[in-house]
Amino acid sequence: MTELFVNMGELKVLEGNGRLITVGLGSCVGVALLDVQNKVAGLAHVFLANSGNHKPSDQPGKFADTAIPALLDSVLKKGARRYQLKAKIAGGAHLFPTAAGASLNVGKQNVEAVRRHLREVGVPLVAEDVEGSYGRKLVVNVDDGTVIVQAIGQSAREL
Amino acid sequence: MRSRDELTPMQQDLLRELGNIGAGNATSALSTLLGDKRLDMVVPEVVVCSLPDTMGLVGGPEMVVVGIYITMSGDADGHIAFMLPKDSALSLVGILVGMPVEELDEMALSALQEVGNIVVASYLNALSDMTGLKLVPSVPALAVDMAGAVWGAILAGAQITEDFITVIKAAFQVDGTSLDALIMMIPEADYFERIFSILLGTEAGE
Repeated sequence: MTELFVNMGELKVLEGNGRLITVGLGSCVGVALLDVQNKVAGLAHVFLANSGNHKPSDQPGKFADTAIPALLDSVLKKGARRYQLKAKIAGGAHLFPTAAGASLNVGKQNVEAVRRHLREVGVPLVAEDVEGSYGRKLVVNVDDGTVIVQAIGQSAREL
Repeated sequence: MRSRDELTPMQQDLLRELGNIGAGNATSALSTLLGDKRLDMVVPEVVVCSLPDTMGLVGGPEMVVVGIYITMSGDADGHIAFMLPKDSALSLVGILVGMPVEELDEMALSALQEVGNIVVASYLNALSDMTGLKLVPSVPALAVDMAGAVWGAILAGAQITEDFITVIKAAFQVDGTSLDALIMMIPEADYFERIFSILLGTEAGE
C-alpha cells in the first residue's frame, strides 16, 4: 500500500488504496479533501493563513489562500468529482500560549482562513479537530475517506 | 532574506564560529548548573540548513521533545528554541535532582524551563560580547509535543517562510549519560548582514 508523507507546506494527492500522512501539526492545519466514490484524496499541511505578505512561493501548500485552490485543482485532475468532495481538517493548536507576543494566535488564524477558503470553493467541511494546545498526527485512508487524528498521550480517533 | 548559496565561505565560517562560542558559553552555564557533574560538549554542529532538514536534526517530526521557546529583542530581534528529546529531558532533570526521574511533572518542567533560560541567556551573552549588540531574552515558554508541532509553531509564530536558518546542534555528555540538546536560532532578516558588517567590516548588502 502506498503511504505518502506530507511535510510542512506541502500538498499531495493519492488515488486507490493508499494513505496520506502528516506528522507534527502544531499551529499548522492539515486539510484533507475526499472523494470516497472515486477513491481520490488530497492532503495539505498549511503553515500560515495568507500568502499576501510573503515572497511568492512555488509551494502553494504553505498558505491557506493558495493551498485550498491548488489542492482542489490537484484532486480534480486525479479524477475526483467536485460535487462529491468533502473536507476534513485538524490542527491549528496554540502551543506556546504564554510566550512573548503570543497574542498572535497563528493556529486560530490558520483554522479560520482554511474554513473561509473551503467555503469560497464550495467544498463542505464535514469534520474537524482544531485548536487546543497540543500537536496532532493525521492519517487519511484514501479508499474509504476515513481520517484518523492522534495527539501525544491520547488514543487515536476517527474524525 | 538570502539563500544558503549566497553566503560566502567566510561568512559561513563566521556563523559557525559564533555558534561554537555561543554553545561553548551555554555548556559552561549548564555545567555550573549541574554542580560537580562532569559535563562535556561533544563537537557542536553548526549548520545553515533548510527548514524541512531541521526536522531531521531533532529526530524527525514525530519525536516527542521538550521545547523551550524564547524570543530575542534589543538591538536585534529573533526567535530561539532549546529542544531536547523527552528521554534526554528526563535524564537532565534526573541529574539535577540527584535521582532517576520517570515523569515530566510540574517540577520537572519548571526545572527544564529554567535550564533553557540559563542556556539561552548564556548563548546570547556570548553573541553580545562578540558583536557589541545588546540581545535580551524573553521569559521562556515551554511545550512538550511532537518536534514537528513545536518547531512548526515557532516558525509560524516567527512568520518564517524562507528556507534559511542557522541551527546549532549541541550534544552534551554528563558522567557517561548521553544528552542530546539543540539550540536553534532564527534571527530577523537583516541580522546576518549586521553581524557580517560588524565582524568583517563589510557593508550591509555587499
